Amino acid sequence: MFRFVLIRFGRAFVTIIAVMTFAFVVLRLSGDPAAVIMGPDAPIEAVNAFRAAWGLDQPVWVQYVAYIQAIFTGDFGVSMRGQSPALDLVVERIPATLELTLPALLLQLAIGIPAGIYAALHRDSAIDRGVILGAVMGFTIPSFVMGLVLVLVFAVTLGWLPSGGDATWQHAILPVIAMSVGGIGILARFSRSAMIEVMGQPYIRTASAKGVTWGSVVRGHALPNAAVPIVTIVGFMVGSLLAGAVVVETIFSWPGIGRLLIVSVTNRDLAVVQCILLLVAAVMVVSNLVVDLLYGWLDPRLRGHAAH
Amino acid sequence: MLILNRRHALGLMGAAAGTLALPGYLRAQGARPSLTIAVQKISNNNTLDPYHEQSNVGERVFFPNLWEGLILRDWMGNQGPVPGLATEWTRLDDQTIELKLREGVRFHNGDEMTAEDVAFSFSPERVFADTEPAGGKTIYAEDYRPQTGKDLPAAVPGIGRRLWPALAGIEVVDKYTVRLHNATPDVTLEGRLYAYGSQILSRRGWDEAATYADWAKKPVTTGPYMVEEYRPDVSLTLVAFDDYWGGRPPLERITFVEVPEVASRVNGLLSGEYDFACDLPPDQIASVQNAAGFEVQSSTIWNHRISTFNTENEILADPLVRRAMTHSIDRRAIVDSLWGGMTVIPAGLQFESFRASDMFIEGWTVPEYNPELARDLLRQANYKGDAIPYRLLNNYYINQTPNGQIMVEMWRQVGLNVEIQMVENWGQIHAHEGVKGVRDWSASNNINDPITPIVVQFGPNSQIQQMRDWSNDEMNQLCVLMETSTDHDKRKAAAKRMLEICEREDPAYQVLHQNAVFTGMRSDLNWRAAPAFAMDFRAGNWAD
Repeated sequence: MFRFVLIRFGRAFVTIIAVMTFAFVVLRLSGDPAAVIMGPDAPIEAVNAFRAAWGLDQPVWVQYVAYIQAIFTGDFGVSMRGQSPALDLVVERIPATLELTLPALLLQLAIGIPAGIYAALHRDSAIDRGVILGAVMGFTIPSFVMGLVLVLVFAVTLGWLPSGGDATWQHAILPVIAMSVGGIGILARFSRSAMIEVMGQPYIRTASAKGVTWGSVVRGHALPNAAVPIVTIVGFMVGSLLAGAVVVETIFSWPGIGRLLIVSVTNRDLAVVQCILLLVAAVMVVSNLVVDLLYGWLDPRLRGHAAH
Repeated sequence: MLILNRRHALGLMGAAAGTLALPGYLRAQGARPSLTIAVQKISNNNTLDPYHEQSNVGERVFFPNLWEGLILRDWMGNQGPVPGLATEWTRLDDQTIELKLREGVRFHNGDEMTAEDVAFSFSPERVFADTEPAGGKTIYAEDYRPQTGKDLPAAVPGIGRRLWPALAGIEVVDKYTVRLHNATPDVTLEGRLYAYGSQILSRRGWDEAATYADWAKKPVTTGPYMVEEYRPDVSLTLVAFDDYWGGRPPLERITFVEVPEVASRVNGLLSGEYDFACDLPPDQIASVQNAAGFEVQSSTIWNHRISTFNTENEILADPLVRRAMTHSIDRRAIVDSLWGGMTVIPAGLQFESFRASDMFIEGWTVPEYNPELARDLLRQANYKGDAIPYRLLNNYYINQTPNGQIMVEMWRQVGLNVEIQMVENWGQIHAHEGVKGVRDWSASNNINDPITPIVVQFGPNSQIQQMRDWSNDEMNQLCVLMETSTDHDKRKAAAKRMLEICEREDPAYQVLHQNAVFTGMRSDLNWRAAPAFAMDFRAGNWAD
């Protein structure tokens, strides 16, 4: 088990370093931040001074070494736009994003998984077909379309809910729904498929033949075995908690990480983009790590397989 | 359904009685409305410093509500100068102006504005760092690095020297009198004083801020509204400053909310969350105008859409090709199709403001739309159909992408092979790698003189020439004359000659159309938009 965990941690560390390096290089190859931040009318003296002040006139490898050294001392750089520490800017936005993504995740789990399981247990019934239809619609409608439709109906036409901003808890209702719908559809489909596959396994028939009640078969045999693929999907969803709100936050003018990322990428605010990507990569990697460890816990066969 | 029980009824009666018992002036104090304005962007660089945030969006939140200068722009009138924090000004010679300050003006921190604050507002510590006026070291030291949080950001001194290339300093004569000394003769000094970037701040407010970033989020100024809260990339709330020298502001609060998506701004306006929705593209106007209780105010602003040529490109090095390009564009068709006819084609790179200083060249026009002439010019240039790159941003300017596509098709009609290269940002537009050709830009007029934009944007110290996009010796000599001569006739002749060079003989750019701004708003507000991005919420533009 120790070797299993050690390998996973090693992979996680390498992944984070790879993401950091990729983000660093791509950002510097895709446009001069000085020209972007200073705008189209900036005098050349100001642009040059900006480059010098932020070390952008140095070779990329020199900038990279300085960046890595700083990261390992806890220095994530300073925002070129706001002149304040990038980490502070990012951390400041995390609660707003979690205010949307956590309720959205809970909704997805609370609706998607039971709906999928129920549909699988009532395969080919009208409810099953209804769940499939709803799930397909849910994950095929892009969140920005869903968001705009929700605003048109509930804010503009009915006037029940606000259309954007973050002033009250009511402001979160429409964005949470817009974010949830796709995930509910995905979870419902995966849960249904996993349960249908498990319910067709010989050990389910065996348990039923032994006289175990239908409810006990589902709870004791089917659900634990169907959990592995569902955990995989949930892991991805948890991993994207911080980065998954880019579109919805923009449509609903929600001041979270997603909007900060858009603004920072547009303006090539390097330190902030790198900080966000590092944070997102870390959450994604930790999430995958937890999922990997859960695999080992859920299915003991995988521990030995991974170690080899 | 409203359910009114005994407790509610008693509460309402008590509130009504309390209202009647309030002194009249208190009721008047509470009567002011507050506004919420949805904008695409509040500030590009997250500061509220006009020497740092040089943009149209900055103009909207700065002027005339927050920042004020010694001379103010007449935003709701002819855009000319009107007395501001100075009540009168006199030319002592062609390099010096004496200004009498308005007495009793208060900063938002309660301090009285004095000559010391004015001098500080144009000081090295505030603007210029170690740069020097024309004749000395004009290029900002490239090895400059801010050492402390209180040091100026690297960009500020460069911008300062662009706006005030030869300002030698401000002399304090007495508490209410200052003299502005320029290192060279300049007829545009008054104009520079009411332009973007000559505003006055409280010295104490600056000194008390721990860092430049802190100060730039809540600058202490003299405007009718002061910063209550600024959440970068989210919102800016201005609150009434009741000690304002121009009288009590008519609004309690103005909240600018950043709503990047145009559909979200329109929806928020129609659902009643916002009172104004700014930056509407022309194709969204009908959806607001057709809704009951809403209207769209449109106005052309002092900014022209242009495209520029890079003469390092072997094909474009030949002026005949550039001239052919300028004659290939049917500007009227663009204005009618993309703008619904709601803007105009100007008289070249000129603005109506030039008439105030009698510098408008009558009879001048943009190059005529003449495809036959364009084809003939291409034949003379022996153009073989080689590709000319066109680096294009995705709608940085309103309608930029469709406009670019239309122009490419118009060029194709006369035999020009222009290829669009979509790029993501200005860094990629200016990147030295690869071959440059055509690119989009805009040109703004800040003062009633052709110095802006033609000298600033195409003269010897312009970005265009420093980027080696284009240069012309005669143009550069004329720019020096424009900047230093005080002879009106010579300057006007120079302005005419500059238009001939830059738009006909050796085209540096082509003017497409004047830009316009469209603002959706509640019809009952009885407010007028200025011909600018600036939104005037002073008493004179707000009917109670």
